Amino acid sequence: MHIMEGFLPWQWCIVWWLIALPFLIMGLLELRAMMRKDREYLPLLGVCGAFIFILSALKLPSVTGSCSHPTGTGLSTMCFGVFITSIVGAIVLLFQALLLAHGGLSTLGANMVSMAIGGPLAGYAVYRLLKDTKINIYVTVFLVTAVADLVTYVITSFELALAYPAQAGGIPASFEAFFAIFAITQVPLAIVEGCVLALVFKYIVTLKPEILIKLDVFSEDQIARARNLDEDVSPAGGRS
Amino acid sequence: MIRKYLLELITVIVILGFILIFLSVSSGGTHAFSGSDDVGSEKIAELTGHPVDSFTPLIPQYVPPSGEIESSLFALQASFGGLVLGLVFGYWLGQRKTSSAI
Repeated sequence: MHIMEGFLPWQWCIVWWLIALPFLIMGLLELRAMMRKDREYLPLLGVCGAFIFILSALKLPSVTGSCSHPTGTGLSTMCFGVFITSIVGAIVLLFQALLLAHGGLSTLGANMVSMAIGGPLAGYAVYRLLKDTKINIYVTVFLVTAVADLVTYVITSFELALAYPAQAGGIPASFEAFFAIFAITQVPLAIVEGCVLALVFKYIVTLKPEILIKLDVFSEDQIARARNLDEDVSPAGGRS
Repeated sequence: MIRKYLLELITVIVILGFILIFLSVSSGGTHAFSGSDDVGSEKIAELTGHPVDSFTPLIPQYVPPSGEIESSLFALQASFGGLVLGLVFGYWLGQRKTSSAI
């Protein structure tokens, strides 16, 4: 979903950088407050960040015959919110811009707005919507992750359409063209990513439920219900 | 038993399905499986009428000299993530074992 260095007019580079900056500043402030308050959360932040690192390095083939990578930002969004996620996402994007020539410093603002901010924001909206409902928490994780992934690519399409409106049809026509390249490719990847991160979430629920309750990712009830379901039919008490 | 591992089962099925789709698409033989970033750049070139090469970086940047080096840097990125992941889950598992032993 990177917009390559040089492929965005400088005016747009500045616009997206300006939009991204407040999120980064808020993220740094939140991160600092969290570190001061309780270092217990650091391992979980490590896990969330690790998935963004791993998944955004994997270029996977898709139905459209081109390759793209998942984003992995959903998990971090649910546990730590949009601002802290934007910092972790920005670190990954900076690494790729500096060393891999995937994206660049001038387009970093636009790439951050799509992957580190916009995707997480959409995921967070889904999370808030489903959090206190009766829907199984793993289904919620799946949806949040898949939506955060997909919306990232929708926003990239939008950014490019704004900068390069088609001669015939303007921005909508151009958006459609970029949408076909980025977002359609992404649908199967988003589904796989959702499943994998839901599974990871299950292991976090098994190993460290107290940290999820403390962060109020889900209520104690919901976590307990999910754990019971996991261990319901296990012989001899199962893991506990 | 099935209920306990339902999520694992679904994930495996989805990944298998993904692989099957890939195999059937790639057996068509007409797809290059290039990165969507590059396809996007080509689309920009098409829309503006300027060739891809005419887009020069606004800020000079390091470009990996070959695909080999690029893939090794990507592997580095993924392995760093894997390292942290293993570390934390191992730490949690160990914590759990010690606390349940008491």
